[in-house]
Amino acid sequence: MRQLARAADVVGQVGGDDPEVLLGRVARGDEAAFEALCNAVAGMVLGIARAVLRDSFQAEEVCQEVLLELWRSACGFKQGQGNAMAWVATIAHRRAIDRVRSERRAADREQRAASHGIDYDQVAESVEIRLDRERVRRCLGSLTELQRESVILAYYGGHTFREVAELLGVPEGTVKTRMRDGLIRLRDCMGAE
Amino acid sequence: MRPNRTEPHSLVGPYVLDAVTPEDRARFERHLSTCSACATEVDELRRVTAGLAAAVASPVPDGLIAQVVRSAAATPQLTATAARFAWATKTAAVLAVVLMAVTAGAGFFAVRADHQLTVTQFREHQIAEVLNAPDAIMKTVRARSAGTVTVVVSRRERALVFTTEGLPRLPAGHCYQLWLVGPAGERSANMLPPSRNGMTSPVVAAGLTQGDWASLTVEPAGGSEQPTTAPILMLSLAG
Repeated sequence: MRQLARAADVVGQVGGDDPEVLLGRVARGDEAAFEALCNAVAGMVLGIARAVLRDSFQAEEVCQEVLLELWRSACGFKQGQGNAMAWVATIAHRRAIDRVRSERRAADREQRAASHGIDYDQVAESVEIRLDRERVRRCLGSLTELQRESVILAYYGGHTFREVAELLGVPEGTVKTRMRDGLIRLRDCMGAE
Repeated sequence: MRPNRTEPHSLVGPYVLDAVTPEDRARFERHLSTCSACATEVDELRRVTAGLAAAVASPVPDGLIAQVVRSAAATPQLTATAARFAWATKTAAVLAVVLMAVTAGAGFFAVRADHQLTVTQFREHQIAEVLNAPDAIMKTVRARSAGTVTVVVSRRERALVFTTEGLPRLPAGHCYQLWLVGPAGERSANMLPPSRNGMTSPVVAAGLTQGDWASLTVEPAGGSEQPTTAPILMLSLAG
């Protein structure tokens, strides 16, 4: 269970409030617990929305939607199964991804761009600036180039593995494997330090 | 056989990174439901993506959390059953619009402190079921007298949620009554609660049948068995 303790550390639980306990109280309609939960997770939620959407205004909207979604769906979190921060991060990331993908579809429809207009360098640069967690930065640095590019384009860039394959000019099967390998290596790296 | 391309488990990396289409996601989740080892792997890798999210955490603008907390006070929570649908549906958007209607004039997320609606006032469960239905649609119309009406209809739930804003204030001893009118006849659906700050909190009309319209009349307090005045609103509920 080394991973467990480490993961909690990695995702940086703020203050003395355990998000898992807070979520349980929120599920019972506890507004004070909800405020504490918001304080614990809002920075992460907003950060991931900013990274994916690259627009502060939209990111704040998504952040508000996600926090409210936590209030509404708190009972969907199964106590004792999975990590609360990971659950929150998943909801936030999916919401940001949904928004950015629907915008890209709209942009495609209007033929504003022949491609999505996003290349790896752009994504990597915008992430690099904000990656202020030394350990995560170091661990990303320990990946192979293809693993790192695949993970970054997917997670921070909001691209599907097929798009990533196209952007990087490698077969889809390779990208799928590199994504998994990259995540496993990150897990070991984050857990080992 | 091309195992790398067709074996569902090969999607575990893209799935955890949300680098999948909705179809891929559904396919992988079917696989996940039959493979406990995969569920463990997904849980472990999700901690990694949570780390990736935390690594880009950014300062939250003043007031954002306070606004959300105020909105939450006016937002019904889902029951465990309803919550299962919540991720996949666009409920939140629909709900947000209804809330906006409920808090009309105050703007999105700006629920005024003087008319915070509690969860219980919402008759939360029924309302959540309608708002959460995958087929829920929303309509806003002007009433004949004055004011606007916003409904969210789900045929699947055979119910609608009804809110109003700015309807004329009624003389003492009178109230608004909501009806369902259609091939199945004219049925009282609900009495509207007294308005607060010009708005009525949501009521549910259940037992919707094909071809029904919603209508609103002014009736003596306590309601009538059949409408006794001309409707101030007739709203088609067809999609």
